[in-house]
Amino acid sequence: MTERLANSIRNAREVYGWTQAELAARVGVSRKTINTIENGIFVPSTLTALKIAEALGRSVEELFSVIES
Amino acid sequence: MHDVHGVEEAERMGRARSRIFFVLAIVFFSGQAAYFGSSPLTRDSTPRIGAWLILVCLILMLLATGGFLLRGRKVRDLLNDETSRMNRLASQALGFWVTIITALALYVESMFDSLTFNEGVHILVTLGVGSALISFAVRERRAHSA
Repeated sequence: MTERLANSIRNAREVYGWTQAELAARVGVSRKTINTIENGIFVPSTLTALKIAEALGRSVEELFSVIES
Repeated sequence: MHDVHGVEEAERMGRARSRIFFVLAIVFFSGQAAYFGSSPLTRDSTPRIGAWLILVCLILMLLATGGFLLRGRKVRDLLNDETSRMNRLASQALGFWVTIITALALYVESMFDSLTFNEGVHILVTLGVGSALISFAVRERRAHSA
């Protein structure tokens, strides 16, 4: 059984109508980083996760969750 | 907070970088194929070795820094953010393992066949640096288009 990090960044972002580039600009990372996090390819650092949560006005726990598969 | 223009510029540069690294890898491997295809008497001429050393140093510098050193700090920080740093580390690790495994293979091969020191170094550097370069280009390309 493996664990992976799921996230609801795309949904939260779309609530604001932001593109990945707009969210990236608010967080201070590249669009590629937002893209890879949204698609579960890249697991962000705590710092980036906190910055994303702050930009989206959510808590980290609301945005990220561990799922077993 | 960055402006969207900066993010888009970093995006363009990042995509261009992965393409440039692919092309650079092809040039690098082609140069090595030409080296091993030429006569052993002429292959170690000073200009050829000099050009090779310059190219290797350039690639190592690009792998160590991510390139675009003359660009503004903000865009460069975006270009080399967390994802790119992780991709670079993973590529450098791959290059390390390829170099070590190649060195072991060359050691065994030298027991059965004569191999000059220069040839051995060329093979080691070509495979080690080349694999890291291609790996970084592939990882970056995948990250952009995921």
